Amino acid sequence: MKKLISAAVALSLTGFVGMASARDYISVVGSSTVYPFATVVAEQFGKTTKFKTPKIESTGSGGGLKLFCAGVGVEHPDITNASRRIKKSEVDRCAGNGINDIIEVKVGYDGIALANSKAAPRFSVSRKDIFLALAKEVPDPKDPASGKLVANPYQTWKDVNKDLPDMAIEVLGPPPTSGTRDAFAELAMEGGCKKIDWIKAMKKKDKKMYKSVCHTVREDGKYIEAGENDNLIVQKLEANKGALGVFGYSFLDQNSDKVQGSLVDGVAPTFELIADGSYPVSRPLYFYVKKAHMGKIPGIEEYLAEFTSDKAWGDDGYLADKGLIPMPTEERKAFKSDVDSKTSLKL
Amino acid sequence: MNNNLQQQHDRTMVRVQQGLDRRYRQEKRFQRIGLGAIILGLVFVSFLFISIIANGYTAFQQTYVKIDVNFDPEMIAPIGETDQEVLSKANYGGLVKKTLRDMFPEVTNRREKKVLYSLVSTGASFQLRDMVMQDPALIGTQQSVWVLADDDVDMLIKGHIDLNVPESDRRIKNNQMAWIQSLQAEDRIEKRFNTIFFSAGDSREPELSGIKGAVHGSFFTLMICLLISFPVGVAAAVYLEEFAPKNRWTDIIEVNINNLAAVPSIVFGLLGLAVFINFFGLPRSVPLVGGLVLALMTLPTIIIASRAALKSVPPSIREAALGVGASPMQTITHHVLPLAMPGMLTGTIIGMAQALGETAPLLMIGMVAFIVDIPGGPFDPSAVLPVQIYLWADSPERAFVERTSAAIMVLLAFLISMNLLAVWLRKKFERRW
Amino acid sequence: MQSTTLIIVLLGLMTLAYYMGRKRSLSLVNGRVRDLHSLPSYYGIHTALWCGVPALILFVFWISFEGAVVTGMVVDNLPQEIQELPPERLNLVMNDIRNLAQGDIVSREVDETMQGAADHYSSLLRISDMSLFVIGLSVAILGGLLAQRSINRHQRARNRVEKAINFFLVSSSSLAIFTTIGIVLSVLFESIRFFQQIPVTEFIFGLEWSPQTAIRADQVGSSGVFGAIPLFAGTFLITIIAMFVAVPIGLMSAIYMAEYAGKHFRALAKPVLEVLAGIPTVVYGFFAALTVAPFFRDLGTSLGLSVSSESALAAGVVMGIMIIPFVSSLSDDVINAVPQAMRDGSYGLGATRSETIRQVIIPAALPGIVGGVLLAVSRAIGETMIVVMAAGLSANLTANPLEAVTTVTVQIVTLLVGDQEFDSAKTLAAFALALVLFTITLALNMIALHIVRKYREQYE
Repeated sequence: MKKLISAAVALSLTGFVGMASARDYISVVGSSTVYPFATVVAEQFGKTTKFKTPKIESTGSGGGLKLFCAGVGVEHPDITNASRRIKKSEVDRCAGNGINDIIEVKVGYDGIALANSKAAPRFSVSRKDIFLALAKEVPDPKDPASGKLVANPYQTWKDVNKDLPDMAIEVLGPPPTSGTRDAFAELAMEGGCKKIDWIKAMKKKDKKMYKSVCHTVREDGKYIEAGENDNLIVQKLEANKGALGVFGYSFLDQNSDKVQGSLVDGVAPTFELIADGSYPVSRPLYFYVKKAHMGKIPGIEEYLAEFTSDKAWGDDGYLADKGLIPMPTEERKAFKSDVDSKTSLKL
Repeated sequence: MNNNLQQQHDRTMVRVQQGLDRRYRQEKRFQRIGLGAIILGLVFVSFLFISIIANGYTAFQQTYVKIDVNFDPEMIAPIGETDQEVLSKANYGGLVKKTLRDMFPEVTNRREKKVLYSLVSTGASFQLRDMVMQDPALIGTQQSVWVLADDDVDMLIKGHIDLNVPESDRRIKNNQMAWIQSLQAEDRIEKRFNTIFFSAGDSREPELSGIKGAVHGSFFTLMICLLISFPVGVAAAVYLEEFAPKNRWTDIIEVNINNLAAVPSIVFGLLGLAVFINFFGLPRSVPLVGGLVLALMTLPTIIIASRAALKSVPPSIREAALGVGASPMQTITHHVLPLAMPGMLTGTIIGMAQALGETAPLLMIGMVAFIVDIPGGPFDPSAVLPVQIYLWADSPERAFVERTSAAIMVLLAFLISMNLLAVWLRKKFERRW
Repeated sequence: MQSTTLIIVLLGLMTLAYYMGRKRSLSLVNGRVRDLHSLPSYYGIHTALWCGVPALILFVFWISFEGAVVTGMVVDNLPQEIQELPPERLNLVMNDIRNLAQGDIVSREVDETMQGAADHYSSLLRISDMSLFVIGLSVAILGGLLAQRSINRHQRARNRVEKAINFFLVSSSSLAIFTTIGIVLSVLFESIRFFQQIPVTEFIFGLEWSPQTAIRADQVGSSGVFGAIPLFAGTFLITIIAMFVAVPIGLMSAIYMAEYAGKHFRALAKPVLEVLAGIPTVVYGFFAALTVAPFFRDLGTSLGLSVSSESALAAGVVMGIMIIPFVSSLSDDVINAVPQAMRDGSYGLGATRSETIRQVIIPAALPGIVGGVLLAVSRAIGETMIVVMAAGLSANLTANPLEAVTTVTVQIVTLLVGDQEFDSAKTLAAFALALVLFTITLALNMIALHIVRKYREQYE
């Protein structure tokens, strides 16, 4: 009985107003890259079912997972969107807070575009150029093979690679809470970093050092953290012709009249080239669902069903219209069956 | 000698005259600068209004496309089906696509088809669904239906898309142009008054988005704000002006209120976040919390205005009332308060207008979420008008620019009418003693 | 709905109690009012208060405990294995039960225990509501009756009623104090937590601002430097620009309005200018971002200058426009407060109007004007939406108005929007910034008010 009373007190404290009305809508947080897709699904879901439209906040993948893993209960979100896969450390954090069963749903693919205003010439860079332009420490330009790192001295793109235009390096990109940032660091920066042999060799000896060299972005104002809002970056690029921006392909697609994607390793970020995997900087998008909330918060199953239906994420679905790159049919089937059987994530 | 004096006099006169000329010129210049400052201010006002109206007036119209829908029983449900559940589940999106394919049979390529489908809004399928659900007898018939055009088409028809830029830089491609022109030739495109803007909540699709949810949210927020700040503000003003003994405590309260009036609004947002949300555990994004925060914010304004109103009631009234034996409280409630009420109401309306336009503190308490449903009460998550403006201003779709401006026009209309009401009240009830 | 009915019924009862109390007081003295201690209406109000207030207090208490008690009772009846769940899971189950009880939206196929619990829940709620209704109304009736009974011609009804009103007045005016305390406490506690992680000196004197810290152990983020100087400098720069726009225009228009303008012109121009003060800041932000910033950029490009798209100039100018009416109405007040005798003296010596203004009125009004400008500065520093929408996020330490800078308020918004974690230095930094903002505006305001008051005394 004592336990009950304390539980009741806890309940009344956590849900002071909760007693007036229970939460009858889904709460979604997470990546700003998945946000435009999730909102479209949510709207369809709200209009075609008897359930309320889910409330979606854009907090960045990292921020979303942090909130998501804070615990089970009505005050915590049910679903988080992520533009990268959940990390082991995050799964552990979740488990530490009593969230043991998470369902992982891969939504589709998204390329990370390095884009600039249409008024400026189109860039064509290699991943190595990206690394050299944006890393905090780079191999000494006087003697690149020496194995000595110096604070990034490059001021213009021409300094990095003489074939590039003579423009000051100015890149607007997402902060570390963002999945786009993680994926960008992993795919573009590390991808370029690996091209330098002695750093690559470091991976075997000192993995931590290797990662810190490859992933650390310079902080001297050449890389500007522009917040979680990808729209904002697009707007600023349009205004600032000398700058490049880092954001998801879907935003590039929506704004193809204002900005152009740079070629990376000679490949342009287009729907087809990302879908067939030839564009080097592309990553999968996910969302994660708390199994404990299914059946407790109304509509989660139906929301998942809407998201994983062919009319949404299929080749002709409305998400593809919004710029999502659909998964191959086989992969879709696999994830759909995982969702239907509520199979939990195992890492 | 005389001559000399005369000369001197003349010289002085000339000097004075010159000085006067210079001083008058200076005077003129100064006056012109003053007038210039005012004119500059007026120019700013008109420029602001013109730029917003020029950007936004088109949002009150919306483009519609007439399509000939064959309500094919095979695609929806057998003729005679009336079960709403079945009717609502049918694939209306497919129906719209098929209709478009039938209208433009020459389009066969998959990519082109996709572009073709994007001529009409995704809202079209809901429109057809609602039609069928309302009248199941439509199944099996052929109907001409005016459906919403996509926002890009809408922008083109309204002339917001510059056709002189190269095709690749445009949201509307040449083949779409051709289809639209053929539709226009058949009188299948028309602009109508945009009712959706006033009857829908937020949406990701510009053509389906409206301000009703935000207006409702603003209404609930303001109601909560008014219910708290008006009685409390008036009571505090009465106490401080009429009853408070002159001591440390009332001094502190006085200084405090003056300072609160100058505290940046965003700090009130932090107060709301720390106290109402983190400490009391009230939910995020609800008008209740918004109203509480705004009430605390507007309180100083109301108190200061109410005190001014009380001050303007001449002491003779109080003395007369006290003289015929009324208690101080009776004096206030029966005589002073009714006379000060118009002034207090004016102050309150101005405070409410301020609260209606306030955005920053609401960002702190999570009122910046994507909320489609129209809130039904102060406990439902909702946006308010200024936050909706902020959210739309950040949206990538071009069509949101005009909608943002239109929402601003609606907000300004509310604000100006509130201010006019305040002015009218003041004019109507103001008494000079 | 239930509570609305209850309130309405209660209001009805209070009206009834008012009339009954009044009637009784009158009947006690056979209608001879002067035999009563207080006017009959005071007996009425006294009765009505006794009827309404205890019932309302009960109502508030009931509502705040109802949820916990009912939940506890429902949980008590759930199967053992559900009761054993940790509280937060129980919380979820309860949410389901509540949704089920409300009936409109169901999360899945209803199983028997849940339906039972939901029925139990709604029946308990019904019982609770019914009993609240009955008990509340009986308390109201009882209170009213007792008060009505206690009425006699010597009862000091007026004094009691006035005491109750006085209580309300005092507590209302104390709310301002509580608000301030609330602000200080909420900002201070989080700031202290922030300063435990980051030294104060680094925060105040640091030249680099890069608040993003890695949020996972295995992530390589930024280093997370919290030196706030670039923010202060940015805020300062934008404020200065705003003042360069607002002070001359505002002051000159105030002078013109006060000294030159005809009655009609004044009646027309003044309200129009004041419209500027009533426009929501989010509208200015939109205007700055969409119209003014691109205009400055294009202008800069045509002059061969490189103007950043979110230049401090655009935000500052628009903010200045916003502040014009603020400066002008404050200066208008102080200029009008300069005694006419000083003007007349100056005119009598043959000075022109502009000379009188420049050499007599402005020096006399200067302290007041300075006070007004300081108030405007404090407003510019705290302004949020314009800079959020039009100024940048990059914390450049620069004095060049064509470059992008960021401000304190912008950073508070970026750090807090969407982020609800209160354990990272990043979130806490927002509170530290707010503390600085609060202190600065407070100090400015105190100084300004002091100057203005001193000035007023001079001519009174």
